[in-house]
Amino acid sequence: MNSNSSGPKETGSACVFEASGLKKDFDDGQVLALRGVDFKIAEGEFVAIVGPSGSGKTTLLQMLGALDRPSSGTLKYRGQSLFDLPDPAAYRAHEIGFVFQSFHLLPTFTAVENVEIPMFEDHKSRAERTTRAVDLLKSVGLEQRVNHFPAKLSGGERQRVAIARSLANFPSVLLADEPTGNLDTESAKHVLDLLTSLHRDRHMTLILVTHDMSIARRAARALQMVDGHIVFDGDPAKLSMHPIV
Amino acid sequence: MTFFDVVTRSLKRRRLRTSLTLLGIAVGIAAVVALIGLSRGLVSSWTSGMKSRGTDIVVANMRGSLTPKPFPASTRDRIAHLPGVSATCMILVDLMSIENAELMIVSGREWGCFAWDNLKLVSGRMPNDQNERAVVLGTAAADILKKKVGDTVQIETEELAVVGIVNGGAFVENGSLVLSLPLLQQITGNQNQVSAIDVRVTPGTDIQRLCAEIDRLVPEAHADPAGEHIAGSEGYRVINAMSWGTSLLAVLVGVLGVTNTMLMSVFERKQEIAILLALGWRQSRIVRMILWESALLGFFGGIIGVLLGIIGVQLLKHAPALRGMLEPDLRANLVLEAVAIAVFVGVLSGLYPAWRSSRVAPSLALHG
Repeated sequence: MNSNSSGPKETGSACVFEASGLKKDFDDGQVLALRGVDFKIAEGEFVAIVGPSGSGKTTLLQMLGALDRPSSGTLKYRGQSLFDLPDPAAYRAHEIGFVFQSFHLLPTFTAVENVEIPMFEDHKSRAERTTRAVDLLKSVGLEQRVNHFPAKLSGGERQRVAIARSLANFPSVLLADEPTGNLDTESAKHVLDLLTSLHRDRHMTLILVTHDMSIARRAARALQMVDGHIVFDGDPAKLSMHPIV
Repeated sequence: MTFFDVVTRSLKRRRLRTSLTLLGIAVGIAAVVALIGLSRGLVSSWTSGMKSRGTDIVVANMRGSLTPKPFPASTRDRIAHLPGVSATCMILVDLMSIENAELMIVSGREWGCFAWDNLKLVSGRMPNDQNERAVVLGTAAADILKKKVGDTVQIETEELAVVGIVNGGAFVENGSLVLSLPLLQQITGNQNQVSAIDVRVTPGTDIQRLCAEIDRLVPEAHADPAGEHIAGSEGYRVINAMSWGTSLLAVLVGVLGVTNTMLMSVFERKQEIAILLALGWRQSRIVRMILWESALLGFFGGIIGVLLGIIGVQLLKHAPALRGMLEPDLRANLVLEAVAIAVFVGVLSGLYPAWRSSRVAPSLALHG
């Protein structure tokens, strides 16, 4: 368990993300996914975004990953508007790493090849890519599974490959969307331990979307969303007073 | 792993669909190779026939036809004395149905002229004189007609003795029946008519200039460097245009096949493309991936098509209508042209799917 906090974290660390009045609607305003969201996330924080289905968690994660644009409001990454970046692909390739609920490994590529995929935009040589990918797989305990195809891996192993892939280009922020949603309890624990250790040992900013209270409590801070609003921002231990579902 | 591995792995994922698409392109390219190879073969076969006879210029009236139209034999008198002309030979040539063979080249040659010199006896003898009712057969013609020395062959209503089998040193020559000019003029009712005058020039003669001079003197025919009289004929141009037209229709079917395959592939892989975008790939790399996939389909479809085309052409040249008439021209440039067309087709077919791939929203990566 990490440090307690209440409300937006005010630390000496640099601000990584800063959202202000962030709104997102779909279908010409028929669906309001985000209804004016404000928050700051500091360098090295571990933040859990919790909330029921349709609360706007995934939409918010899409904004943080520069995968979508807001209808209005601003979202800054290290002081620069995320939606005015000259090269959003470079941001996604080098600044952040994505971990998905369904792993999203490419089925026709081995574990090591999947980890190499993000490195194509990093101008590494073939040998450098392979060496780094193998090292990353070793760091997540998969040195024996380097040349296995995803179909030959367990769910937990697949997610560890996905985590290794998210680290391919040395990002400083990890964005994880329900990373244990498709895993059994034992595998989920291993994956969470791995993410937590990455946050702790590499001082990475970890933003994790979940609807599981026990997972949220492993974070230092929780943002609880309901109907596109942040209704709670603070110590996850106090989340029980604000039921998610 | 290289970017190329990523491209090929995508194609291997749907092997049956990829194979059927390759087959679609291959059929189009096979049509290109077969039809264009045959039409070019027509020119090269006649050209090689001319070369084996030692002909430098052909004076003929090819307008609107593949076989020259007869014109008066007296035309030769206006050519023979020109500076640079070392020898002339009057020829009457026609495509005729001979016994059970549908079309064969029958060549009546001026007795004693140089167009007899290249005919090397394989068996028998040459006719004794221009009045002997005899014919010599090229080796392929003898094979097609199943004739040997001592047999007879019927041309129109005339029965002639086969006195010799000859090797003319070229495909067209070997597929011909050769007899004396007066005999063929009599058989075909073209007395005092010829369909071509073969001209030999003295070394150092400007052939183009001599052709222009002959054209000026002989308005009823046209002089061309040997071989070009076929390529420049209206008949050949029609055949060539039809060959390209038919081939390109087949290629168009291939284009639609690749476009369909690549579009299906893009639609099926929308989320995968979104994931690649979420992992930092640029849209330009996604577009390149799709274009490379379609170009590879074109390339391999082209290779298979060339092989199918060559096999098809080998079968076609033994068809009754073509046996002994022409040797398909399957030189490297045709193969390269066919593969280049296939790659172009691949890239062209991939443009719209590639554009569609560039429209995939990266936010799809977080769905499902």
